Amino acid sequence: MKLAVAVQRYGADINGGAELHARYIAERLARHAEVEVVTTCARDYVTWRNERPEGVDQVNGIPVRRFPVTHERDPNHFGRQSRRVFDQPHSIADEIAWLESEGPASPAMIDYLERSASKLDFILLFSYRYYHAWHGARRVPAKALLVPTAERDPAIGLGIFGATFRSVRAVMYNSHEERAMIQAATRNEEVPGVVVGIGSEIPARTDGERFRRKHNVRKPFAIYVGRIDENKGCKELFDFFLRYANTFPRGLDLVLIGSAIMPIPQHPRIHHLGFLPDEDKFDAIAASDLLIMPSYFESLSMVALEAWALGRPVLANGRCDVLKGQCIRSAAGLYYERYEEFAETLYALESNGPLHARLGRNGRDYFTQHYTWPVIERKYLDMFDQLKREDASGARRPVESLGGWLARRQRHQRPAAEVLTKIPSNAVVPGSGAAENLSRSA
Amino acid sequence: MTDFSIRSDNVDVEQIMRQIRARIREKRGVDYTEEEIRELANVKLEKFLDPRGVRSDLLEQFRRKREASLPPNFKFEDTTLFETHRGLLAFIRRLLRPVLKLFFNPNPLIDALHIQSKLNAQQAALEPLYYEVIHNLVLETTRLGIDVKNLKMRVESMSSRLDFDERRARALEGVVQYRPGAVPPLQPPSGGGDSRAPESAEQSERRNRRRRRRGRRRPEERTGGRSGQGAQGAQGAQGAQGALGAGGTPMSEGGEAEPIGEQSDDRDDRGLPPVHRDTDGEPSES
Repeated sequence: MKLAVAVQRYGADINGGAELHARYIAERLARHAEVEVVTTCARDYVTWRNERPEGVDQVNGIPVRRFPVTHERDPNHFGRQSRRVFDQPHSIADEIAWLESEGPASPAMIDYLERSASKLDFILLFSYRYYHAWHGARRVPAKALLVPTAERDPAIGLGIFGATFRSVRAVMYNSHEERAMIQAATRNEEVPGVVVGIGSEIPARTDGERFRRKHNVRKPFAIYVGRIDENKGCKELFDFFLRYANTFPRGLDLVLIGSAIMPIPQHPRIHHLGFLPDEDKFDAIAASDLLIMPSYFESLSMVALEAWALGRPVLANGRCDVLKGQCIRSAAGLYYERYEEFAETLYALESNGPLHARLGRNGRDYFTQHYTWPVIERKYLDMFDQLKREDASGARRPVESLGGWLARRQRHQRPAAEVLTKIPSNAVVPGSGAAENLSRSA
Repeated sequence: MTDFSIRSDNVDVEQIMRQIRARIREKRGVDYTEEEIRELANVKLEKFLDPRGVRSDLLEQFRRKREASLPPNFKFEDTTLFETHRGLLAFIRRLLRPVLKLFFNPNPLIDALHIQSKLNAQQAALEPLYYEVIHNLVLETTRLGIDVKNLKMRVESMSSRLDFDERRARALEGVVQYRPGAVPPLQPPSGGGDSRAPESAEQSERRNRRRRRRGRRRPEERTGGRSGQGAQGAQGAQGAQGALGAGGTPMSEGGEAEPIGEQSDDRDDRGLPPVHRDTDGEPSES
């Protein structure tokens, strides 16, 4: 079997988001198939500047073919385009212009995918909202599997993506909430889909004591791992934690791991250790009492899965449907929506040994059951088999037309932000109305 | 703070969250989110404020009036009255202006209109501020109304708890009886040993009598007698210990021991019950 993995940027030094997800999947599927990664020469996700050499490269034994980006992103232009399509009635042409301005625009990459499609069994397109995924899905729909990595942001309300989600062969979702949101936004229930998510490279042995010695962290602590950014809910986390620290002067400390792009409050109980290598990161999680995930928008939190894999409970932001749903389904975490809940849940996890132990154990079980690599690989391979059977039966879904020149310029599209507000947001919980989805995916 | 007892293998996170929220509601009385407060401020103002004093649709009225009744403002200078884009007409007007001034003096009119236009501009700049002030006032008043309501409930709750505690303290005081002869008061050291000898003899005689009495008792009587002694407070300060019950916990009004001693023993130096861990650092349920 021959597979291509198309993603906006790729490299061993990119350690987060859809890019890392794509790398893990490519490396794992390479055990079962011949895999080639198709990507751009960009390294920076803000500018998409061509920083890596064009041509074929090897990353961890996987061939990577890079294509140049035709233009860098102009933040002002992209901002204007975003306001137009998110906040105002607009046309299909406006949305395509927005996609172009978002980047990374690489027509050569799309041409290559189209040329090599006949030699490939399937093409995995990562991140629905980028240029390569949209154009790739339209040019080679018969081979395209989409891994949307969709968050609850207005882009999902854009009309052009509805056709993409309905045209591809299959969709590999990250979570039940992501699937519910995409299906509500694009009505793509007919397209085969499965909730897969992603595994993680959990080390066989971790040493919490080593972390404590190395970084001189003596007291019990809660940990946050990730970019320290207001968009990730860190400002709210700091506000809540400072209030909590005042209420409980001898409670847990807070250890932050990751690069900071916002000021971190100076407090004796908040320790920022910066970016750490994977070994230290896992040791830190193992040494912690719990992981805090304050993010409002996640399609899947890998670090939460890693904490569960190491038997640590998670305290998540309940306004993020995905995290809340995972906490409920795994029975391995609590969630908060405001300070009072934050204080009560953190205190409960900090002070209640049996609860802490049970949640930690549930997390480990949940990870083993759903997110170990054999489970993930099996889901992909099963989907490939299913699609091959469909190929044999000759069933095809046509690509939807976006209309002619004039139709594309009529301002009939509703503001994407308005569309998003109409999409129901809730954690998918067994026993609720969405349980049908759960059982179908199981 | 909430304390959960985990008894079975199944943890229902939603159930725990419901308990936590119920606990928060119990603590706060009425529980509103920021959005709910905003909604209440816009819609149900009369529920919290005196409706005779404040209109519940105040903000809406203000906004509508402001949008509807803003006249266009313009600058008014000394030449405005005579301005025209036609050159010939402007020339004629300039020529005839002295003649016009023979009939009336336009300068006060020009000055007044000039000031008026400035006032209009200032007013227009102030209106958003007024709006903001009123908006914030309404929000804060609503919030304060809710807070007052909550505080009233908390005061009621605390006063009932205080009553309960006072009753409990009285009950405990009733159990502890002070007997002046039971424990001799401390005497300052004195130089003479005469007074001590007869007292010591008397005391040793008492002690011997007590020993003889104890010796005659059966063992089961002895154990029963000790607790009874404690409960009756026969030995002064020891009586209070007896009132604490066998486990050293204070008795509630019904006479049952509350396990607060246990709780404080379990807590670590953070004042929290510890997360018990196995040897490999894993939390356990011990």
